[in-house]
Amino acid sequence: MAKALHTHPQAREGDDNSIGSLVDAHGLLTPEAERDAAVSDDQLRELYRMMVICRRLDQEGLNLQRQGELGLWGPYVGHEAAQVGAALAMESTDWIFPYYRDFAMAVCRGIDPGNILTIFRGLTHGAWNPYEYRFAPFIIPVGTQVPHAVGFAVGCKFDHEQTAVLVGFGEGATSTGDWHEAMNFAGVFQAPVVFLCENNQWAISVPVEEQIAGRIVDRAAGYGFPGVRVDGTDVLTVYAVVRAAAQHARQGHGPVLVESVAYRLQAHTTSDDPTRYRTDADLDPWKGSDKDPIERCAERLRQRNAYDDTFAVAVAQEAEERASAMRQTLVAARPPHPESVFDLVFANPPASLMRERDEFTSSLEQGGAE
Amino acid sequence: MPMSQFLLPDLGEGLEEAQVVQWLVDVGDIVQLNQPICQVETAKALVDIPSPFAGTVRVLHAQPGDMVLVGAPLITIEQPRTSPAPATSDEEHPPVLVGYGAGGPPQTFSRRRRGVDHGGASAVTVTPPPEATAVPGVERESKASPLVRKIAQERGIDLAAIRGTGPGGRIRVEDLESVAGPVAVAAPQPTTTAEDEERISTVGLRKAIAAKMMKSATTIPHFVEYSLFDATNLSALRDRLRGEGGPFAGQRLTFLPFFVRALVAAVQVHPIMNSRWDEEGNAIVVKRSISVGIATDTERGLVVPVIHNAHAMSFGEIAAEIERLVPLARAGKLDVRSMTGGSITITNVGAAGPVDTGAPLINAPEACVVGFGAIKLRPTVVGEQVLARPGAWISIACDHRIVDGATAAQFMGALVSGLENPDSLIQ
Repeated sequence: MAKALHTHPQAREGDDNSIGSLVDAHGLLTPEAERDAAVSDDQLRELYRMMVICRRLDQEGLNLQRQGELGLWGPYVGHEAAQVGAALAMESTDWIFPYYRDFAMAVCRGIDPGNILTIFRGLTHGAWNPYEYRFAPFIIPVGTQVPHAVGFAVGCKFDHEQTAVLVGFGEGATSTGDWHEAMNFAGVFQAPVVFLCENNQWAISVPVEEQIAGRIVDRAAGYGFPGVRVDGTDVLTVYAVVRAAAQHARQGHGPVLVESVAYRLQAHTTSDDPTRYRTDADLDPWKGSDKDPIERCAERLRQRNAYDDTFAVAVAQEAEERASAMRQTLVAARPPHPESVFDLVFANPPASLMRERDEFTSSLEQGGAE
Repeated sequence: MPMSQFLLPDLGEGLEEAQVVQWLVDVGDIVQLNQPICQVETAKALVDIPSPFAGTVRVLHAQPGDMVLVGAPLITIEQPRTSPAPATSDEEHPPVLVGYGAGGPPQTFSRRRRGVDHGGASAVTVTPPPEATAVPGVERESKASPLVRKIAQERGIDLAAIRGTGPGGRIRVEDLESVAGPVAVAAPQPTTTAEDEERISTVGLRKAIAAKMMKSATTIPHFVEYSLFDATNLSALRDRLRGEGGPFAGQRLTFLPFFVRALVAAVQVHPIMNSRWDEEGNAIVVKRSISVGIATDTERGLVVPVIHNAHAMSFGEIAAEIERLVPLARAGKLDVRSMTGGSITITNVGAAGPVDTGAPLINAPEACVVGFGAIKLRPTVVGEQVLARPGAWISIACDHRIVDGATAAQFMGALVSGLENPDSLIQ
């Protein structure tokens, strides 16, 4: 069995350059690739819509943290094209393993944003059933989700499922041992994984040039699979490339590394003060409409005559409503019952733990918890 | 109309307080949900706070400059009746995460906490003011948040003597007021200001300067030495450099880059001047690189931009770096790196007025600060004659833990010699 897994003559003969050739030297979809991708106007409008909604939710998350409703918020403004483009490129039967900043991916998967926020309020460790949405829990330790995703993908392969696994991480994670082990394992076992590096150029205060010698995308070659570097502010490119990469993985050709290059426009989290390590001038090149994922998508829609004010206003209005609904869901959320601490670790709890739970329950009833 | 009080949340992770920098709204203003209401500075960052309610501003609970504890009231807003129906009890309405520490104790599993008052009969409704009564001699266990306990302790209030008006008899900040008069939850209540006085809050830079100077004056044993130098050659050299055909033709070219170069050259002969006293290690730490701070007067106060690695720079590079840094400092646009990492500092005491010299305070934790007075014509003995020649006073203040007077005198000698024979400075 193991030997069979190690040898994939048909996979190794796969056209490893086909994904890389989708983009030009600037990381943008070539005209031929754009034609072949045949992304419809409606699909592009959906990408636009989700990016606008998710940006508004991000702003509301920041507001809620500053109003004391959340303990922490990790803004993702600037990541909209990467997260929305990649999440919508995956089939509903595929899996996504996010990192902590991939809020927009979770929203694209249909998880209630107000419920997601309960994590950042400290009410729960995971606000959804991963199997229901095929969306793994947010991972806070840097990079540990990457081996999870690869292991899961190898499992899918064992089960002969036509499933691709997308795993999101920042460029800082590429310096961790977990990431390298996962990349190696994925290459060796031809795991059906799309590695999505959301390179926002800052690992908290460490700039990418102090993080990595060379290019992240080139590391894929060292592990024996293709890598492609895309402009992470162009949602159409991200969408088309990740969709092709997922198809490549599903067809048994093995993993792909997609490096999406954009910029972290906000603080790392609300516990961070970026003015201590970067200046406003550093942000200037990334603030123009030519680098704004939403503006760029609007421009592509205009070129297709698929964008007008009615559409834009309706989307903005929906974004406001979603933000308001998210706030309401969050502030109505209740702290978990203390007994729930016993619930989510064991499928079949040992007797000793059940006894502890009973003692705890009776002490609560007697007011002992006071 | 329901009054809603917004308590300062923990804006980072584990913060205990924040300083109000400025209010963006006034009492009587109508604010929208999420409209920025004020800027506060925490130990971590400067943060804009968006309003958690729509309504009319009724009370600003702190002045700019006040420190506000996490969990203490920041603003009270009267919400219109058309607002979403307020919860009727704390139990029904979830608490706000005002902080991991000061915000409220997880003492009960119902997690009653002081939080945003969403109006109605909630536990922290502020109107009408609930009655709180001191009940002397009644012994019982007091329920109160750590914040309330802290305030009570500071004011010498016995919590056992207070009947709380919060849920389950919990003692609230307001209950302390009735016992001890108005409670300053913020920084110590300012003393009264007479009519002929103006009270200036110390926020931001002024506060930082105050702290630094206090440390310098009270923890570093200073001594100061003075010397006059003859600037005839230096003035001539400067005129030559900025004259027609010179490398700085048409430029302003101040004396400052010459001072920096002379200082670097003198430090290279006496590296001990480029050091600091390590309090914890009880050692002298001598820096190999020479990074020169330039004390700069700005509208906001004293700022010290740093010329990093000045020892590795040519005269022209130093001059250009000064021309770059000083305007940025005046505009308040220096990044952090440009304000930190200095190893010795220059202060141009003659720049702002007719000042010959002064006794500067060391820019802690450095070992030495050098003050240059105004260059002007002075009676100078040349041979047996008294001539009018340009000159200026130099003052150097040293940390006497590190440097003794004789060393400082030798350093002064090197400095004066460099400035009186300045050709080597521009090589």
